[in-house]
Amino acid sequence: MVVQRDKGKPIVSIIILGIIIICCIFAPFITNHDPSQYYLDALNRAPDTEYLFGTDSLGRDLFSIMFFGGRTSIMIGVLGAAIITVIGVIYGCISGISGDKVDSVMMRFVELCGSIPSILMTLILTAIFPAKDVFSMSVIVAITGWFALARIVRSEVRQIRNSEYVLYARSIGGSFLYVMRRHLIPNFLSAIMFVVVSSIGACITAESTLSFLGLGLPLDILSWGSMLSLANKALIMNTWWVILIPGLFLVITLICITNIGNHLRKEVNRKSSNL
Amino acid sequence: MKKHPVIKKIIKRILLFVVVLFVLSLVAFCLARLAPGDPLQSFYGDKLDTMSEVEKQMARERLGLDSDILTQYGRWFVNALGGDFGLSFKYKMPVIDVVSPLIGNSLLLGVTAYIVIFVLATVLAVFCVLHEDKFIDKLICKVGTVLYYTPAFWLGVVLVLIFSINLGWLPSSGAYDVGKANDVGNRMIHMVLPLIVMIASHLWYYGYMIRNKLLDEVRKDYVLLAKSKGCTRREIVWKHCLRNVAPTIVSIMAISIPHVTGGTVVVESVFNYPGIGGLAVESAKYHDYNLLMVVVLITGAAVFAASFIAQTINEEIDPRMKEMGTIKW
Repeated sequence: MVVQRDKGKPIVSIIILGIIIICCIFAPFITNHDPSQYYLDALNRAPDTEYLFGTDSLGRDLFSIMFFGGRTSIMIGVLGAAIITVIGVIYGCISGISGDKVDSVMMRFVELCGSIPSILMTLILTAIFPAKDVFSMSVIVAITGWFALARIVRSEVRQIRNSEYVLYARSIGGSFLYVMRRHLIPNFLSAIMFVVVSSIGACITAESTLSFLGLGLPLDILSWGSMLSLANKALIMNTWWVILIPGLFLVITLICITNIGNHLRKEVNRKSSNL
Repeated sequence: MKKHPVIKKIIKRILLFVVVLFVLSLVAFCLARLAPGDPLQSFYGDKLDTMSEVEKQMARERLGLDSDILTQYGRWFVNALGGDFGLSFKYKMPVIDVVSPLIGNSLLLGVTAYIVIFVLATVLAVFCVLHEDKFIDKLICKVGTVLYYTPAFWLGVVLVLIFSINLGWLPSSGAYDVGKANDVGNRMIHMVLPLIVMIASHLWYYGYMIRNKLLDEVRKDYVLLAKSKGCTRREIVWKHCLRNVAPTIVSIMAISIPHVTGGTVVVESVFNYPGIGGLAVESAKYHDYNLLMVVVLITGAAVFAASFIAQTINEEIDPRMKEMGTIKW
């Protein structure tokens, strides 16, 4: 078993993601320009030795924004995933542990919310939060993302809610929170890890999409999304580096996160095909 | 007279549909009104700065912005029943007139994408199952996953950069050239890039699900029987296995509707395609509440209607669903 698990470890993804994260953390030591400075004498400069990734239409150094912006994007991803996990786990546990009536109502609510296109809800939410910062963006992208997790948690809890140790813990007076922390969460942790990790990627994608549409972070808060919000201008100027380089970083990060997430997924062993 | 169970179920669904729409409209209305951002700003633009307080107050009264939320909602609801959804603050004309010319465009894009996605997903899934664990299967899985996780807006911008700006083969925005609204060829050329993005960003999510379902299916015993009868591999998968997973595919298609609809929102904004989705983004940006409400309602109604229809069809074609009675709406 152990050997099999080691075989598919996404070493490459972990290394690449690690490098990106380390570069973002130590951004001030790597970058050679001030990320928020407008270099007016170097607008739309193609990548060269001075500006490694070129500059955008405002004259900002893309190489520097990349790593400072990565901090914001990854922060939003992690924070969003954390919010999703907390809401999803608590909601799922409550639904799973309560009686059939409450459970049914709670699950209907989740199904209903899940059947509204999440981008519409997000659009309404972006109108509500006046000042966009890292925290409010994380909340916006997380609010529409916890439904799937809640369902998985709920079905896992349903399976173990009647086992002896849960009954015992409750009959000696263990509170809901105690039972959840001590017995429920350790049991379904491995089942939800995949969803938790991939929701980091989902949050990063959602943030960049919203910022691109002009509904996310403003230009002065650096993130991969707010960098790409200049993409439309870059199209007119035909400055490919403004579009391709931040996007490639974004995609590579997302794919690394997905690979790591997939590794955590429970593998179903298939017998050999009859075909 | 005893009602037919199917009719009863359909009536129940329709009632639920109405309730859902009502709740959706109430929630969207309250959220939109609670949002900061002054709707007067979007109505008058820069002129607002030169208006006096009295003028502003009069404008609020005229636009019905002076009473509390529930009264406003009540008024909106009564008007809406009569087909009057109010004025768009930004376009300064009835919301219905803003929205109705665009519905067709969105439907065209959404439905075409939806059909192509599922036909392609099924064909690719079968292809992968026939070549399970070979190089080509792994390659399709990898490429599909990478495309699925590539943000749709970025893919769109990159395609425009390559095919519109540098190669000049395809138009970068709009649904048709000026004065060519009825030219089918012209419309199709404009749909190529949006369709590619729609398909690329959804295809393998569903293709992979169908592939996995089929992989379970080819491990069943009847496949051995069919094989010993002398059926070819292709015949077994296309004729027997695919038919058995058809209800699952329909279920996946039902679940996918909100997802694909959400995709049109992003794609329409990227390509400036005149449709409901692009309008939704625009109205959120300019705090155009009345417009946002109608867009949300139309999209919600379309999504729910389609999902309900798909569920009903699914229960009818698959006798197993009825016995299990899993869906208790």
